[in-house]
Amino acid sequence: MSDEKPITYHNLGEMPEYVISEASMLWNKTGTWRYLAPRYLTQTPPCNQQCPAGNDVEGFIRLMEKGAIAEAAQLIREENPFPAVCGRVCYHPCETGCNRTQFDDPVAIHSLERVAAEQPFPATPPETGRPDSGKTVAIIGSGPSGLTAAYHLARMGHQPTVYEALDEPGGLLRYGIPAYRLPRNILKAEVDHITSCGVKIICGKRAGVDISWSDLNKSDAVFITVGVHRNRRLEIPAENTAGILPGLGFLESVAGGTPPRLGQHVIVIGGGNTAIDSARCALRLGSDVSIYYHRSRDEMPAFEEEVNEALKEGVKIHFLTQPVQFLTDNQHLAGIQLRETRLGSPDESGRRRPEPVPGSEFDIPVNTIITAIGETADLDWLPPEISHENNRITINLFGQTSLEKVFAGGDAALTEHNVTTAIGSGKLAACAIDAFLHNQDFTGIMPRITIGETGAVSVSRYLNHGDAHKKQGGPGKVVSFEDLNLAYFRKSARQKITTLDFNNRSSSFEEVNNGLSGEVTVIEAKRCFHCGVCTDCDNCYMFCPDIAILKKGPGEEGYRINMDYCKGCGICVNECPRAAMIMEKEQ
Amino acid sequence: MKKVLMGNHAASWGAKLSRVRMIAAYPITPQTHIVEELSEMCSDGRLDAKFLKVESEHSAMASVIASETTGVRSFTASSSNGLALMHEMLHWAAGARLPIVMVNVNRALAPGWNIWADQGDSLAQRDTGWIQIYVEDNQEVLDSVIQGYRIAEQVNLPVMVCYDAFFLSHTYEPVDIPDQESVDSWLPSFEPDNFLDPENPKAYYGLVMPDNYMEMRYRLQQAHEAAKRVVSEVGNSFGNHFGRPYDLVETIHCDDAETVLITSSSATSPARLVVDKLRDAGRKIGLLKMRVFRPFPTEIVQEILGNKKTAIVIDRNCSWGKGGIFADEIKGAINNLSNRPMVYSFIAGLGGRGITPDLIEDIVKQVENSESPATSSEWIGLKPFN
Repeated sequence: MSDEKPITYHNLGEMPEYVISEASMLWNKTGTWRYLAPRYLTQTPPCNQQCPAGNDVEGFIRLMEKGAIAEAAQLIREENPFPAVCGRVCYHPCETGCNRTQFDDPVAIHSLERVAAEQPFPATPPETGRPDSGKTVAIIGSGPSGLTAAYHLARMGHQPTVYEALDEPGGLLRYGIPAYRLPRNILKAEVDHITSCGVKIICGKRAGVDISWSDLNKSDAVFITVGVHRNRRLEIPAENTAGILPGLGFLESVAGGTPPRLGQHVIVIGGGNTAIDSARCALRLGSDVSIYYHRSRDEMPAFEEEVNEALKEGVKIHFLTQPVQFLTDNQHLAGIQLRETRLGSPDESGRRRPEPVPGSEFDIPVNTIITAIGETADLDWLPPEISHENNRITINLFGQTSLEKVFAGGDAALTEHNVTTAIGSGKLAACAIDAFLHNQDFTGIMPRITIGETGAVSVSRYLNHGDAHKKQGGPGKVVSFEDLNLAYFRKSARQKITTLDFNNRSSSFEEVNNGLSGEVTVIEAKRCFHCGVCTDCDNCYMFCPDIAILKKGPGEEGYRINMDYCKGCGICVNECPRAAMIMEKEQ
Repeated sequence: MKKVLMGNHAASWGAKLSRVRMIAAYPITPQTHIVEELSEMCSDGRLDAKFLKVESEHSAMASVIASETTGVRSFTASSSNGLALMHEMLHWAAGARLPIVMVNVNRALAPGWNIWADQGDSLAQRDTGWIQIYVEDNQEVLDSVIQGYRIAEQVNLPVMVCYDAFFLSHTYEPVDIPDQESVDSWLPSFEPDNFLDPENPKAYYGLVMPDNYMEMRYRLQQAHEAAKRVVSEVGNSFGNHFGRPYDLVETIHCDDAETVLITSSSATSPARLVVDKLRDAGRKIGLLKMRVFRPFPTEIVQEILGNKKTAIVIDRNCSWGKGGIFADEIKGAINNLSNRPMVYSFIAGLGGRGITPDLIEDIVKQVENSESPATSSEWIGLKPFN
């Protein structure tokens, strides 16, 4: 406060002509009026939390908005070595979470990631500053989870070796996802980039057969990510008849370039992604295809987009129908007997259980039947010390098995089976293994590197780099639609991708979806709200009635608040379009 | 340079020649031309000033209060309901002792909606602390705006230059536009002792307790008293420099008159014709033009009317429940004189109705035929009751 003494005027001549202080008011820091203070706080955008691979979605879109596409691709690779793969096959829960969904349409994040991945590969992966540790990690399985773990472990200075049972690396990416969704050259390029980063992949070595557990166990740590390759059986009569193919096996043979002869009429049993992929592959091999699924469309686990594409391509889907028995004629498959079902009360998965309708059986003649009602992991080779239950390896919150140095991830350890979740589990394993190799307790690390409240982990944060764009320092509240100030956003149309002409689909495995074209990429990126992240939009700076918000010096982003003059009115926070500021009680 | 200008553009020229640096205004008929012209002057570079579009007249006045506080010569203009909306800020401008100059085009207030001449709008702002000048012709509009700044900045009071809607605002007359250099050599630049300065921040317009408030307000009254002298000096100096002298009032044939006709604004021009005509007919009549209403030139009015028999005041306004405002003010000014004229009060020309020479002559005749004034103002030119 001031040292000034009150002035008493004794006569008119002493008084000022108008109401003005006698001296400078510099002593009076008007910030003393404040009881709540604004603060810049980067909060979690919903897309970031929703990404099972833990991508810094908002961060890479920000770079793309500025036209820095190569930097965006490198930013993604700080978390995820598979932007080209994810830009094609991910079911993009980021877009489901996008706050723009409640405004007009979500940002086309999935397509933007694919555009970023079209950039040439960088000479080296994003720098970590980690020296060689001399530690070895054996990774069993070269699917998205295993390769992601290997990529990050190599970046962290370790020596990962990936053992793959099949002839080529990629796991389900290569053998499960058809080429019309994920062209082989795209996958090969990303796998090659991972090996160029110091990952050794040995193909044709099946764990427990070609390489023993005791050999694998010589590594300093082990990551088991063998996937699920065992087709679940229907357990109905005549299931072993020739002409009845397991879905994943069928997809593997198509991927390996040796598709079986199917005949004209093909039936697929199941409602998951394997069923849809099998049906669309069979269609491309020249057959007409019908899917039979025992529940309704609402309960189908397959990605909605893929189901829509299958229907558009001419695949017929019959709901509420279940197989009773396969029909044979002289040991050859002749057809299938099915019956109608109706939905009863929910089962343990929360979906309504199909119940047979008595007397509704009917027969259908068919040349080939593909069964795709789910896959399980082959875990028979595991040593007994590694526990598993219901054909799933038992892991703790951060992927550790019942053996301290052995971790597991991907489909063999998770209930959710998709590429992006597998990538996320590979990242978690890489961080947890690194902590284990450095004798660090991961329990305390995990909350710090978790994106938002429920998201995947961030490797950048684990490496103490903050988030890749250096703004998101730690876990934070996820920004909801209600948190935004919509006065500052305009509606704008979501940019659409083009797809392969239907005439070309029944005979070719050419890629169906095209990427966004160059000129609309930036337009689409600019639709991003940047929920919770300051974009230097100057709203706080312009609205502050006390000029208490100042720009940081030249070359620096962001603002600082001159608390000497901030009166805590909160206008800056209110006018922030994207909830990158909060009001809080002062410390 | 002589140009044929409408009254509104004469006001624009006055502001331009005064080198105002900030203009904030909101459009209202019949004032809008003034700021339209100024906005063009700003946009084409003829005037180096910030033109601020605002959302209301209240904001317009608030904005010029702010800019004047930072030490920047500022201008605004309004009319009628717009001026009424400024009311709160008018008090502020005067209490803050800011030398703002504004133009008010006198227009009737609604309802009924009426865009024509009537002094009710600015006279309703009588007690806000502004100097008020009521102007007769377009030349005087331009000259009064320039004089306004010199007066205002000498006494730290805001000045309102008022003139009649359409009779002046939209009527074209020859106007002598002085050279910029000539105005610059007469009107000094605005350099206040104090202004809002981040380098030396001071508190402005803060709380004043009962122990000092009355003194602050006495200062305001003192400034108005001083302004009477300053208006005269400035008007005289203006005359010496530009050849057109001005004062608080103007008198015509008053010295030997027994009857003095008293007018303001554009109604003075037809009164001049009537007085000349009656003088030619041998009547001892004079004309007093009330140019400055605040501060009220009490001493001069006393001096002029002191020994007259009759004063006739024509008001284009009415204080509802009392009567003609100029008449009432004049009665108040001469009340304590031992020799004072009878004051006849007439209300005419409200809402743009004409105050013609014939009408004024009728008023004079009516006074000549009456014994004494009515207790209330008489309304002239009304339609018959039946």
